[in-house]
Amino acid sequence: MSFTEPKDLSRRQLLRAAGATAATAGAVMAFPAIAQSKKFGGVKLRGAAYQHGFFNHLKKYIPEFEAATGITVDLQLSAFPVYNQQADLELSSGGSAWDFCNVTFIFAARWVAAGLLQDLDTFSRDTKYTPASWSPDDFVKGAQLPYMDAAGKTYGYAWEGGAMLMGISRMDLMKKYNLKPPTTFEELGKVAEAMHGKDDMAGFVSSNLHHWYLPPYMQGFGGDVFANPPGDITPTLTTSAAVEAVDFYTRLLSKYSPQGVLSYTEDQARAALIGGRANINIHSSSWVTSMLTAPESKVKETALVMRMPAGPKGDFPASNSQGLGIPKNAKNKEAAWEFIKWALSPEITTRIVKDTGHSSICRRAVISGADHKRVNTINGQDLSKLYLEVLEQPGKTRNYMAYRTVKEFPVVSDVLNKAVERVVSGQMKAAESMKVAQDAAVDALRRTGARV
Amino acid sequence: MPATPALSYEAQRRRFTRMAIAPSLLFLLLVAGLPTAFLLVTSLTPGSLVNPGSLTDFREPLANYQNLVTDKRFHETLWVQARLSLYTVVLQVLLGTGMALLVHSGQDRWQSLRHLFVIPMVLPPIVVAVIWKLIYTPDISPIFHTAKALGFMLPAFTSHADFALAAIVVADTWEWAPFTYLMVLAALQNLPGEYVEAARMDGANALRVFQHIVLPYIAPVLMVCTLFRLIDSIKAFPLIFLITGGGPGSVTEVTNYYAYLLAFNYGELGYSSAVTVVLLSITVVISWLAMRLNRNISHQD
Repeated sequence: MSFTEPKDLSRRQLLRAAGATAATAGAVMAFPAIAQSKKFGGVKLRGAAYQHGFFNHLKKYIPEFEAATGITVDLQLSAFPVYNQQADLELSSGGSAWDFCNVTFIFAARWVAAGLLQDLDTFSRDTKYTPASWSPDDFVKGAQLPYMDAAGKTYGYAWEGGAMLMGISRMDLMKKYNLKPPTTFEELGKVAEAMHGKDDMAGFVSSNLHHWYLPPYMQGFGGDVFANPPGDITPTLTTSAAVEAVDFYTRLLSKYSPQGVLSYTEDQARAALIGGRANINIHSSSWVTSMLTAPESKVKETALVMRMPAGPKGDFPASNSQGLGIPKNAKNKEAAWEFIKWALSPEITTRIVKDTGHSSICRRAVISGADHKRVNTINGQDLSKLYLEVLEQPGKTRNYMAYRTVKEFPVVSDVLNKAVERVVSGQMKAAESMKVAQDAAVDALRRTGARV
Repeated sequence: MPATPALSYEAQRRRFTRMAIAPSLLFLLLVAGLPTAFLLVTSLTPGSLVNPGSLTDFREPLANYQNLVTDKRFHETLWVQARLSLYTVVLQVLLGTGMALLVHSGQDRWQSLRHLFVIPMVLPPIVVAVIWKLIYTPDISPIFHTAKALGFMLPAFTSHADFALAAIVVADTWEWAPFTYLMVLAALQNLPGEYVEAARMDGANALRVFQHIVLPYIAPVLMVCTLFRLIDSIKAFPLIFLITGGGPGSVTEVTNYYAYLLAFNYGELGYSSAVTVVLLSITVVISWLAMRLNRNISHQD
């Protein structure tokens, strides 16, 4: 056979060849990162995560992965708190029931520091397991920080990111009263005050996760949660900046928020925002952008999403993420990596964005791509840009999210919650409450064996 | 070879009794004894969820208990627990007794409610917590909407430092007053009618009949109810978990909720076990007192 004799090829043969080429190309496009030889044929992977839209989307594509690799995937999804308790016990007891699992943001520092997870660099940085095109550095650094140890090794890859943004539900009313969107803490206070009570609406709303909302204010006023995390975790809750932050944040809650805001859950805060019962909410992107995307939103036409205001000492919007990792004692680590590699590949991530509109993914190339921008440009607002800016912020400046990578943070987070509650409920002034918080945090940290 | 002396009837009876209860005791030991032993052993370690080796570290076995002595938050939780127990038990016994007296009064309108009164007690605790969470949430509560329509504002009970504990007390009383109601009603139905009839014939009014005949008759039952509810009040968890989360601040944080936070939020299994052991000891002492009091009352009868 010679390619110099095209006249010998029939039209049917040409079509067949073209079809075969297209099918091969399609398969390679869909599974570029997976060895096609079914090296893991017959392996059954057991994984666990919490119920989230991402996994519901992913489940639709899993049969493709199974067909291509011969691996069977058993993915168990539980409610968030249930999963976290299961995972905490499973990992800390050195269990091998799971081959892969969700690395929950709030536990990531503890699990990573305690060595409960497999170092994924051994897979993702080795071309024997992962082609260069998978590009581990494409994951936004801010989203990856919780899954890295002090030496820079990676123990999880982020599948979901949350960027703290500000949602304003009633820009129409603000315009009516000649108010501009706030860009500083001072302006935020003034806008919340001016809008509170207008059209039966609260000026501000938040929920009971104060350990998440408060640190950006502490940092914006020039303070932080710890002295120099993760190395020096001496709590710094009594600095003038920390006290000023608590004073400011609790004023927003006690003066300009709906009645009973201290017991608000995230869902209640979201309902108040998208129902137009509260004007401003500063929270993770997926919560505040629901003003624009949720079918039940009453403020789609009047809502604005923007960066949260900056403090006098800088701009420190919080970010978080959820990752996929492999337990230290998993039985099928290589097959589990095949799954993670596939699930978080540029191709599957892009397909999920295109097919479902799910936007909170953490691959920079996908977030800055045309599909993501198209899905996330609503009412002329480029949410992709805002999302990426915030996720990248800790990687660009100093890592101000380092406080969340401290494994003892859950202890201090509870102390912060209580400090805020004491002030809002009128039990103490900010300075007194933070003094109590500092003492409680130091006692609790010493009890856990931390050096403070 | 000398013959084995035959066992006396009493000895045989004791042996049979021992053999009969042995399986139950063994089962109880497995189900209750082993976890308790594990709890005690864990409390002697610095056990942490993220440090598995720490569960077998017995170098400082009393460290957790020493920490408890200086742990202000733990002391506060005990104080909150004591107040919660006092308020709920007193209210439940008074309200339950009142309900039983009303139903026992024989009036049809109260008789018809006799089954309704029991409903809160048979609901799963988490359902009770959800009901009261809805009632206390200003956005959706009919009570708050009604108050607003009438032109006055109610405080947000669960996030107000002065009302949060009261909010839990009201919900707990609603749930458990029917327990006293049932017990007292049963006692009242066994009250010999001739006593009351004789007193009435002697000119005693309702108050004196209650004071001199009914109350002494139901006193042992009230004592049992009080002690049972006191022991049970230490287990209050779903209401606090769902309605206040221990807040605002630490206003409603009881000891078992603190132990839960230590174990599952902070991963401090050893310290949480020490808190639980102290709580268990308090419960055992109260139970022992309850049984002793009950025995004394029975002997007096």
